[in-house]
Amino acid sequence: MKVLRTIFLILLGLYFFVPLLAMARFAFQSVPVVLLTPEKLLEGWSISGLIEVFGNPEFQRATIVSLQLMVLAIVLTLVLLLPLAALVEIRAPQLRTLMTAITLLPWVVPPVALVVGVAATFRNTVPWFLASPYSLVPFYVLWALPFSYRALDAGLRSIGARTLYEAARVMGASTFTIIVRVLVPNMIGAIIAASVLTAALVLGEFAFAALLLKETLPTFMAEFQRSEPRAGMALALAVMLLTALIIWIGVRALRKRGMDLQAAGV
Amino acid sequence: MAKVFMSGIRKEFGSTVALSDFTLEIESGELVCLLGPSGCGKTTALRILAGFEKADAGSVTVGGEDITYVPTPKRNFGMVFQEYSLFPNMTGRENVEFALKLRKAGSAERKDTIDRLLEVTGLTPHADKFPHQMSGGQRQRVALARALASNPRVLLLDEPLSALDAKVRDSLREEIRRVQREIGVTTLFVTHDQHEALAIADRVGVMSHGRLEQIDPPRALYEQPDSAFVAGFVGTVNRIPAQVDGDRWRVLNRSVSASQTVDGATLAAIRPEQIAVDVDAAGDDTVREVVFLGPLTRLTVDHGGSTLIADVLTSEFGGATMGDRVRVRLRDDVDAIVLIEG
Repeated sequence: MKVLRTIFLILLGLYFFVPLLAMARFAFQSVPVVLLTPEKLLEGWSISGLIEVFGNPEFQRATIVSLQLMVLAIVLTLVLLLPLAALVEIRAPQLRTLMTAITLLPWVVPPVALVVGVAATFRNTVPWFLASPYSLVPFYVLWALPFSYRALDAGLRSIGARTLYEAARVMGASTFTIIVRVLVPNMIGAIIAASVLTAALVLGEFAFAALLLKETLPTFMAEFQRSEPRAGMALALAVMLLTALIIWIGVRALRKRGMDLQAAGV
Repeated sequence: MAKVFMSGIRKEFGSTVALSDFTLEIESGELVCLLGPSGCGKTTALRILAGFEKADAGSVTVGGEDITYVPTPKRNFGMVFQEYSLFPNMTGRENVEFALKLRKAGSAERKDTIDRLLEVTGLTPHADKFPHQMSGGQRQRVALARALASNPRVLLLDEPLSALDAKVRDSLREEIRRVQREIGVTTLFVTHDQHEALAIADRVGVMSHGRLEQIDPPRALYEQPDSAFVAGFVGTVNRIPAQVDGDRWRVLNRSVSASQTVDGATLAAIRPEQIAVDVDAAGDDTVREVVFLGPLTRLTVDHGGSTLIADVLTSEFGGATMGDRVRVRLRDDVDAIVLIEG
């Protein structure tokens, strides 16, 4: 059994890492694969292509837009969902099943349908909204819903939010005070989990940005890769590492609080 | 300190009637327990008093002031919950202080009150621990101190001992009573545990199906139950048919008076300790079960086809075993019985 498990893990590892290694070789080694011999294995490695991309103003613009979108999506997610999840948990726990179903909807409706629907509605009423790159924020908040809402909901349940709310109410606290002073400090783990997941989704999301003709990091990468396949691949690896780093920081922050992503409901 | 008066309260959840014409009066400084099986409406009554639920009909007054529509934060009540309700991000002291800050108490007043309450509840050594570092009993003591911090008009206790183990439960129960007497706060205590209710309350209200069946001091409730439900719910009771005997009643071959009766009632409610069991080889009754309880021994006896439960003093008990022939009778010191509906 143990042997089988080890073999399975090795195969799984190969499945994930061989393409990544191939990608890295293609991106950073300037020796065509047909000419690659064992002696040339260490020749021609360079990250100059990647450094060049970093200097590319278009890349910088796209990255800043993506990071801004990430921060805004996280803020909007927390500002909208935290009170909503708290309200459902405290005042209407019977709606929880319905809320879970609703939060899954964005993944049932394909992005193209979402974009077309929203575009048709807003183009006639608030055209400036669609013109701004920030019009992506609501889509990202929706797109992250199944993960962010569940993380917050699990956090609220694990601290017994309803009892804490009622205890604070009897003492004379307003709902705002309760959310800020009692609920938020006790569910930092869930807030971190919701934020990390939203960040990871935003940094990798392509469909909405492409459909709305916005230049974000993923759309820039797709475009860039067509003209500069090597540097494009290098950039893809770098972004992947960045996302992994964000998740790792989040998981570490959770561990410090004795939680993991699973405990945060993900 | 304030007198509580809940009058004609009705509450429905969908098609379920949780409370129906519920009226309860709690004197200033009194501790009243609401006792009843789960789903009887006792917690709903407490939640309406706290302002967490709105009554469909009826009114709530505290100290003469109608608070039916006053929101919870403005009622100035203290409450201890069944679940641990301390704020996990605050120490014991900070939890108590939170309540005081909300009432805008000055820092000197806060310190005095916290020190006094921590001392009264015996928590001074644990004041700076976080809830997860405390035992269940300590947490509930902090919750009690926190509930009392703002000098509440009414203290509400919603099964505060249910999550604790038996030994801690007993000592904390006595402590709650002592602190409540010392501070003299009007208190409503909700529980499903009859021993708890009888031990702690000035008066116990027994509830069933959203109604208050009877409210009396513990001893009166035990000795003079108004209904078969109360007799059966509070303590153990034998329902024994009684025959009219002039203006008296005949029960287990003894003629006794009825201290309390309901129209048309022919069943006597006899407590196990009111029955004596004599070992007698010529007796008509048979011992079915013997349970040793320390000072008492509980006997289950087959008496003319029905089963009776008798608690006899172990020291006076003849040592019958299962299957032995015995004779049951009313104890000599029982001269009046309670008749409940037939």
